Amino acid sequence: MEFVQWLANNVFGTPAILLGLIVCLGLLIQRKEANQVVAGTFKAVIGFLIIGAGADVIVGSLNVFQPMWKEVFNLKEEALGSFTGFDAFNGEYGGAVTLALTLGFVLNVLLARFTRLKYIYLTGHMMFWTTMIFAGIIIDAAGDVSYWQLVLFLTVVMGIYWTVQPALTQPFMRKITGGDQIALGHTAASSALVGALLGKWLGNRNNDSEKLKLPKGLEFLRDSNVITALTMGLLFLIGAIVIVLKNTPGAEALVAQAGDQNFIVYSIIQSFKFAGGIAIVLFGVRLFIGEIVPAFHGIATKIVPGARPALDCPVVFPYAPNAVILGFLGAFVGALIWLVVIGNTVAYIFVPTMIVLFFHAATAGVFGNATGGVRGALLGGFMTSTIVAWGQFVMVKYLLPSTIPDTAMWAADSDMFVLGPVIRLLASIFY
Amino acid sequence: MNILCVCGLGQGTSLILRIHVEAVLKEMGVKAEVDHMDVSSAGGAAADLILTSRELADSLRADGKVKANIAVVNNYFDRQEIRAALESALKRSTAEEG
Repeated sequence: MEFVQWLANNVFGTPAILLGLIVCLGLLIQRKEANQVVAGTFKAVIGFLIIGAGADVIVGSLNVFQPMWKEVFNLKEEALGSFTGFDAFNGEYGGAVTLALTLGFVLNVLLARFTRLKYIYLTGHMMFWTTMIFAGIIIDAAGDVSYWQLVLFLTVVMGIYWTVQPALTQPFMRKITGGDQIALGHTAASSALVGALLGKWLGNRNNDSEKLKLPKGLEFLRDSNVITALTMGLLFLIGAIVIVLKNTPGAEALVAQAGDQNFIVYSIIQSFKFAGGIAIVLFGVRLFIGEIVPAFHGIATKIVPGARPALDCPVVFPYAPNAVILGFLGAFVGALIWLVVIGNTVAYIFVPTMIVLFFHAATAGVFGNATGGVRGALLGGFMTSTIVAWGQFVMVKYLLPSTIPDTAMWAADSDMFVLGPVIRLLASIFY
Repeated sequence: MNILCVCGLGQGTSLILRIHVEAVLKEMGVKAEVDHMDVSSAGGAAADLILTSRELADSLRADGKVKANIAVVNNYFDRQEIRAALESALKRSTAEEG
């Protein structure tokens, strides 16, 4: 019994070790050489631990961003109460999340094998974030759920979601790709579907986005580091200028934080820190997902031959490169509008994370274009920013305020916002 | 030989490409280290060959600093296209060395 307890604490309760074991097993199943097994396992564990470090950097920057924009909008209310935060939450529940991710994938493979929904979800980084955010919602709703209850609940929810989501987007994927070989496996699905339906309703299919001649030089928008730093830099700069011009005690307190440094310079540095934090997180996720997904892929192709891989959203970008840019522009305008509207109506400072906005809006743009041309692509992008902005407000304030609101601000996205209330409802019924 | 598979974020798409590139290399009997990466990091990474989409290939080339050969793959899960891209890139690099 003591051994079981030891195992529970040190293996299943220590996410980095559990992840290392899962990756090691995956590499062994793929019959990799000994040096590859060791290197892959170590990279996965290191990557997992890096994520926490990146999350700290992001939150450090948000701790300047939020109070600054609060002061700009004259909001008095405290943003967040006390909450667990990513590091502590991951330390406590990260093991359950990792295990549920693995078992949820197994359920996805079984469902693909035995039902007509033949889709295998292979977008590993989104699998990780979706499971993590849903765990945050469940723990917030139900309090301290036991390890295995959490694993079981998440396994079932994730396994079903990863099987059904690609099926829902497939009718439009056929239209976009002109074939039936690949599916979309990404949390942008709800934004993409809204884009496609609005495009059908309000757009004009004949005015295809690919007939447009967009100016060259917009290619840098595809570089996630650049767009993140650029847009956050712009928002930090505007906020800082307003603060410097204000003479309120709140504004003066903020300026004092910068010490001898000029407050505008200090703020701009914060925007680069935010982008840097995102880059660190992505680096960590890349290291460990890069070891898991090939194993998943190898196993799935053996068990379910002929299943469609459900892939990361950029698979649709080459089919309509202009719609990608139009979708992003629609979302960018929308994000700025919602930042001001949400700030002034419900007193929440929306964090417009460009990675979420770019990839989701670009996907919605391609889907919108497929049914409604240029107008469909722009509407798809705008609706993405609407879902993300209001979704982030609802999630941070009501779905997981006590667990990981700090993570939801930059890592939660469309499908998580749409499904979040359902997860919370289910969690409060079961526990 | 070092091969880099590159997409915008270096998370999902480039990894899928990596899986297929590794499989194709195995078929061809070529030994190579394959990694996946985002376009920012790839600009400064040491590699012999970069495989990526047309748009990202353009921006890597425009960068001017990238020494690696850049080959375009339009369809990241089309093994025939990947094979063709790899074969012509390998031919080019042996020609340069010779």
